[in-house]
Amino acid sequence: MGRVNDVGGMQGFPPVREETGEPPFHADWEAHVFALNRALIGRGVYNLDEFRDAIERIPPQEYLAASYYEKWLRAITMLLAARGVLTEEEMAGG
Amino acid sequence: MSGEHPGVAAALAARVRRLESLLEQRGLVDPQELDRALEAFLARASPANGTRLVARAWADEGFRARLLADANAALPELGLSMGGGLQEQRLKVVQNTEDSHNVIVCTLCSCYPIALLGPSPTWYKSEAYRSRVVRDPRAVLREFGFVPGPEVRINVWDSSAESRYMVLPRRPDGTEGFKEQALAALVTRNGLIGVAPV
Amino acid sequence: MAELFSPGDRVWADRADPPYHTRLPRYARGAIGTVVERQGCYPLPDRRARQLPAEPEPVYTVRFAAAELFGEGDHTVTIDLWQSYLRPAGRAEQR
Repeated sequence: MGRVNDVGGMQGFPPVREETGEPPFHADWEAHVFALNRALIGRGVYNLDEFRDAIERIPPQEYLAASYYEKWLRAITMLLAARGVLTEEEMAGG
Repeated sequence: MSGEHPGVAAALAARVRRLESLLEQRGLVDPQELDRALEAFLARASPANGTRLVARAWADEGFRARLLADANAALPELGLSMGGGLQEQRLKVVQNTEDSHNVIVCTLCSCYPIALLGPSPTWYKSEAYRSRVVRDPRAVLREFGFVPGPEVRINVWDSSAESRYMVLPRRPDGTEGFKEQALAALVTRNGLIGVAPV
Repeated sequence: MAELFSPGDRVWADRADPPYHTRLPRYARGAIGTVVERQGCYPLPDRRARQLPAEPEPVYTVRFAAAELFGEGDHTVTIDLWQSYLRPAGRAEQR
């Protein structure tokens, strides 16, 4: 019945918390994930819809616990492994 | 959920560096080009672009009409554009009136006019915002300290396709004769999303 | 693909719960709304995400009453929907 990302109208989430004056990215690694994704899509390794699809296929508990760019990083590694570009072991540093 | 524990952040940073290095070895990524693209993006895209558009629309009725009719065509009048990203997206500007107020969301992920305004705030991307604002926008606005009157009709725009939305807030009273720069200074990013009156 | 709808048309959103990526939010499934405007034509993401060929098709801005979506609320929610997600709704509400 719908994927974990499809949260419109879902009940039980907490009040919205604003971090005033937050920077565009909270850490260099976030900015690099953002730039990497654009570069990979630009090169045609995968398209934007496949990227969104990958985020949606992150297991629900992980999806909800992960920060925004953690979700991106997970999706990128899922796609690179699925495309045979890199292996999970290589990306994990093994 | 920004602000990971420092240990977690360091581990993530290491993972990203490793990934970038592996992709560079495969010839898929050029780290210098990545840095250049990032710098270029952050230099051109920021909320200041939105505040300038609003100020011009307040000062110039003709521009306001053009912005509302076809924002992509009007943006170049201020030297702005929705390009510079993966593809130029359609920008739709929706205006607040005395009896209607607009709020923007992307319930399915976090779509936002980043090519114009830069990255969205963390709260905009949160499940809390995405789940609650379509169902009870007044409760969410109250959390931001904004309570529109009961006679104001609220419309929530869910950016589920290829258009990206920006709110044109109402011009505050007592600003007649303000220069555009002063008008722009009144506009906040939250106003451009619709969780604040301006 | 021919454009089926014009601003002012009443449409209802598909009820399906697909096992793949889609951009029809579940809170709008089976709801009736009104077309506000056309946005142009774009390939269906449900197909693009699966690397299937996808011809550009019309996308519409569709407005729904909160009461229709959630059974309560005095606001409206406007959602951008591909033509494939929509069916014409006659004067009498057909579900």
